[in-house]
Amino acid sequence: MSKAMLGRADAQTIPLSFTLNGRLQELAVEPHELLLDVVRERLGLTGAKRSCDVEVCGACTLLVDGRPISACTTLAFEVRGRSVLTIEGLADDGKLHPLQEAFIEHGGFQCGFCTPGMILAAKALLDENPNPTEEELKHFMHGNICRCTGYKKIIESIMAAAKFMRGSRA
Amino acid sequence: MLRPFRLEEPESVKEVSELLGQFGESAKVYAGGTELLLAMKEGLVHYERLINVKNVKGLNEVASDNGMVRIGALCTHHQLETSSLLQQKLAALVRLEQRVANVRVRQVGTLGGNLCFAEPHADPGILLLALGATMVAERASSKREIPAEEFFVDAYETCVEPDEVLTEIRVPVPARDSGVAYLKFGYLERPSVGVAVAFQVQESERSIHDIKIAVGCAGPAPKRVPEAEEQLKGKSLDEATINISKAGEIAGRAAQAISDLHGSQEYKEHIVGVLLKRAFQNALSQYRAGQS
Amino acid sequence: MQFEKEVEIQVPREKVWNFIWDVDRFVACVPGCKEAKTIEAGKLYSATMIEKVGPFRVEFPTTIEVLEREDLTRIKAQASGADNKIGSRMKLSLDVKLREQGEKTVLGFVAGVDILGKLAALGHGIIKRKADQVLDEFAQAVKKHLEGDS
Repeated sequence: MSKAMLGRADAQTIPLSFTLNGRLQELAVEPHELLLDVVRERLGLTGAKRSCDVEVCGACTLLVDGRPISACTTLAFEVRGRSVLTIEGLADDGKLHPLQEAFIEHGGFQCGFCTPGMILAAKALLDENPNPTEEELKHFMHGNICRCTGYKKIIESIMAAAKFMRGSRA
Repeated sequence: MLRPFRLEEPESVKEVSELLGQFGESAKVYAGGTELLLAMKEGLVHYERLINVKNVKGLNEVASDNGMVRIGALCTHHQLETSSLLQQKLAALVRLEQRVANVRVRQVGTLGGNLCFAEPHADPGILLLALGATMVAERASSKREIPAEEFFVDAYETCVEPDEVLTEIRVPVPARDSGVAYLKFGYLERPSVGVAVAFQVQESERSIHDIKIAVGCAGPAPKRVPEAEEQLKGKSLDEATINISKAGEIAGRAAQAISDLHGSQEYKEHIVGVLLKRAFQNALSQYRAGQS
Repeated sequence: MQFEKEVEIQVPREKVWNFIWDVDRFVACVPGCKEAKTIEAGKLYSATMIEKVGPFRVEFPTTIEVLEREDLTRIKAQASGADNKIGSRMKLSLDVKLREQGEKTVLGFVAGVDILGKLAALGHGIIKRKADQVLDEFAQAVKKHLEGDS
C-alpha cells in the first residue's frame, strides 16, 4: 500500500496489474499516483528521471505497449493490463541491446541523464521504422532533449544500431 | 505529486454528462491528460473528481461519409497522424498532427482534449477553422453541432457547457480544386504563431472562391480573419498573389498578438504575414498539383 | 506590466473625486472585487479580488494603501494580495489623475501590475491581456456609474 494511503480511510484504490519488463506486477494505486513515481519510488527502477516534469524533455520516457509516453504526466492506473518497458528491462539477461551497445561505442551519452529516455525512444522509433532517414529520426526524437552531446553522437548511435539490427534480421 | 482525487469511469456519454452535472466545477473530463495533468501538477487547478472518458466506446474512430470526415473526440494525435483515411481526405490535417508537440504527447493526447482545453498555443483549432469544421457537443439527452467560429471563445475557454461532452469533430472534405495549408512558427515548447488557409479555385474563372484564413497561437484563441479573406476572394490567382501581403498585414493585426517571451507584438504580426504568404503558396502548389 | 488608461466622464471633477472615496460604489466598478472594507478612511482598505481565466481561478485577499493624495487632482495607491492556494501574489501600483475639461472630467490612471508565483506559468500574454481587460472594464464602469447618476 502506498504511503499516500496512510490515514486516509476514504482513499480510492485501483488494482493495477501490468507487465513490467516482461514480468507480471500486481499492486494497488490511488488515482492520483503518477507512473514515474510508482516506477521510481515503489518499484525502485530509477532509470527514468524526473527532469522538466512538463512532458517536454523526454527524460522520463517509458514504453507502454511499445509506444513512448511521459511517465511524469501519466497516471499510474493507465498501464493496467498493459506492458511497460523501462531501461532496466532492455538488456536481455545481461546482454546489452544493440542500442545500448551503439550508444557506448559511438559516444551517444556524456552525463547519462537523458540516456534511458533517449534509448527507449530510439527503440520505439526503430520498432516502428527500422530504416529511418536522418530526417525521420530527428522528427521522432525531437521530444528528447540532451544538454551534453549536441545530438550528433546520439544520431550516429541510433543509426548504427538501426543498421546492426537490420543486418541481424537478414 | 498530485493532490488526491477520485476517479470516475463512466461508459457512456450520458453518464459523463450526468456526472458533470452532478459534480459541477469540482469534476473535470479527463482523456489524455496532457494539458490537464500539467495544470494540476502546477497546482493551478484542482478537481475532486476526474472523469475518465476513455472507456466510453465509439469516440475514437475516424470515418467518412457523404463528403464529411468525422473524427471522434478521443482520437489521439498519433491515431490521426497515422490514419490512411485522413491522409486521403485531409492530408493537411495529417501534416499538422504529425507536428503536434512531441511523440509522447501525440501518443496519448486527444484532439478533443486539445480543443476543449483551448490552450492559446495550440495547432489543430486553427486549421479546423480554415476547413469550416463543426464540433459536436452532447449532453444526456441532446446533441448540438457548433461551428468552429463559435467554439473558441477566449484563452482556455470554449463554448462547451459545463455538462456537455465534445464527442466528434466534423470536417467537410475539401473539394477537388482546393488548396489547404497550415504553417506554424516557434522555437519554444509551444508554437508562437499559426496560420491556416484553405481555398477553392473556380475552374472556369481561375479565381479564388470560398477562401478561409485563420490565425492563432499569437492571440488568446484561434480566429478567422474575414477582412484578410476579402483581399483574396473572387480574385484571380495572379491578383491574389499580389494581394497576399496586404492580407498578411491585416491578418497580423487581427491576430491579437501581445508582446511576451514568444516575441514582440510587431514580430508576431510580421510572422503572421510571412506564414500566410507561404501557406498560400503552399496551398496554391497543392491546387496546381491536383490539376495534373 | 504597465497600463495607461484614460476615460472622459461627463460630470464635474468634484463628483468623480467624491465617487472614488465612496468605497462601496467605487469597488462595484472593479471587476471581480468583493467585500470591500474601510480599515482607515482615506488611508487603508481591504477587498477580495477574484479573477477567472477559463478553468483557472484566483482569489486575492487584497490590502490597498493610499500613499499620496492631492485633493481633486491625484491619488497614488498601492495594493497587494496573495492567493496561497495557488501560491501566487499580486502587486498593484496606481497613479490616478483627474483633469477638468469644462463640464467634463478626464480620469486617467497608470497602473503597474505584477503577478508573481505559479500563476505566472499561465504566460505573460494571458495575464497581461486579463489585467488590461479588467482595467478597461473598470474605467468604463466608473464612467457609466457617474454618467448614469446625473
